Amino acid sequence: MNVEIRNRPDYASLHVFMDEGEQVVTESGAMMGMDPGLKMETNMKGGLLGAAKRALGGESVFLNTYTSTGAAQRLDLAPSAPGDIVEVDISAQPVMVQRGGYLAMTPGVTLDAKWAGAKSFFAGEALVMLRGHGEGKLWICSYGAIEEIEVSGTYIVDTSHIVAFQESLTYTLRKVGGLKSLFLSGEGLVCEFRGTGKLWVQTRNAPNLASFLHPFRTVRKND
Amino acid sequence: MEIELLHRPAYAVARVKLAQGETIVAEAGAMMTMDTHVDMETSAAKSKDQGMLGGLMSGLKRMVAGESFFQNKFTATSAPGEVMLTPTLQGDMETHTLDGSNGLMLQSAAYVCSALGVDVDASWGGARSFFGGEGLIMLKCTGSGPLAFSSFGGIRKIQVDGSYIVDTGHIVAFEDTLKFNVHRFGGGWKAFILGGEGLVCTFKGTGTLWIQTRTSEGFGEALGPLLPMRS
Repeated sequence: MNVEIRNRPDYASLHVFMDEGEQVVTESGAMMGMDPGLKMETNMKGGLLGAAKRALGGESVFLNTYTSTGAAQRLDLAPSAPGDIVEVDISAQPVMVQRGGYLAMTPGVTLDAKWAGAKSFFAGEALVMLRGHGEGKLWICSYGAIEEIEVSGTYIVDTSHIVAFQESLTYTLRKVGGLKSLFLSGEGLVCEFRGTGKLWVQTRNAPNLASFLHPFRTVRKND
Repeated sequence: MEIELLHRPAYAVARVKLAQGETIVAEAGAMMTMDTHVDMETSAAKSKDQGMLGGLMSGLKRMVAGESFFQNKFTATSAPGEVMLTPTLQGDMETHTLDGSNGLMLQSAAYVCSALGVDVDASWGGARSFFGGEGLIMLKCTGSGPLAFSSFGGIRKIQVDGSYIVDTGHIVAFEDTLKFNVHRFGGGWKAFILGGEGLVCTFKGTGTLWIQTRTSEGFGEALGPLLPMRS
């Protein structure tokens, strides 16, 4: 299997070239183009429970599996938001992925939901994150560019900028600055990561774009 | 202090390296990541000795200019530290260092961060000539030290020597050595109403001008009608 990430970082796309029998599992709706020789199957990977857990993590219930039937058959994948794609090897260390941050994986990877704790709810984030574990590769995607950070010790990240992190990192939720800052700084709560491992952050966040666009919406007239 | 720009041009981010004890002032909500030994302080005041009333006035002036009432000050405490700062929307960033002589005029939405030695004034009198434009308000940056600003879309640096015309919505920043005049686009009323160009700005003199390749208003107006209505 050969993999290329092209058009980085603004509009990254993933191009997978597979030999006979090789497989890639994707988020539904991610296919942009494909070799007609590829066989596509839609299923609830991990059974009903696995699917339900994924749904809790903000991903689709159904996943698509593409199987190659010949040499170097090509599959082109595109995430929905403008941004970057990064390849993550999860064999050494499971990875936690934020809602909407997953594009595709090799068949040896299991993706299920993990309760992120009530603390993530108070941070305005999803209650559940996706956990990728097993053997293989996972491709994560972002809104904006992705900055990879090697954490060794401690590091602070704004919650809305987290894309993924290795499970070797633990995190706590805290405020920055004094009590005044909590309400007035526009920073809200942040994540403090601890330990040694990789962390991927996105350089923009979608909620900010949505709030910018809100005033441009047409106003409904009351009659 | 060193400001390095990463991930240009679509989703630029500023990596600010602070020496121990150094401070960077940033627009509220701009922090993406930082070291744990960097302290954040939120205040409306420009400096500590400004007092509460002075702070309130500074905050109000910033709000009138379309900036946030409060600003955050990040200080590296026990050791040198790093803060990464991002603008709200997609686009590029530029850095500029003031040396105490020429000032920089900055479109208010473009401000991201500045050193403590940079004075950012939202109450500059000349701003009024821009009010008639496309809601454009300029901040006047004087003093000395580095600052970083953002654009919506790509950014183009133009060395003006003589004169140059820019659509007001595309102005990001310009050195105050340039004289400017906001006016209707030539071609009479027909061109003004039907040409879609609105107001333009003619710059005269010698200095640097930064323009953006898209406007956030144009983007908002393109997407707004496609979104569900708001009440």
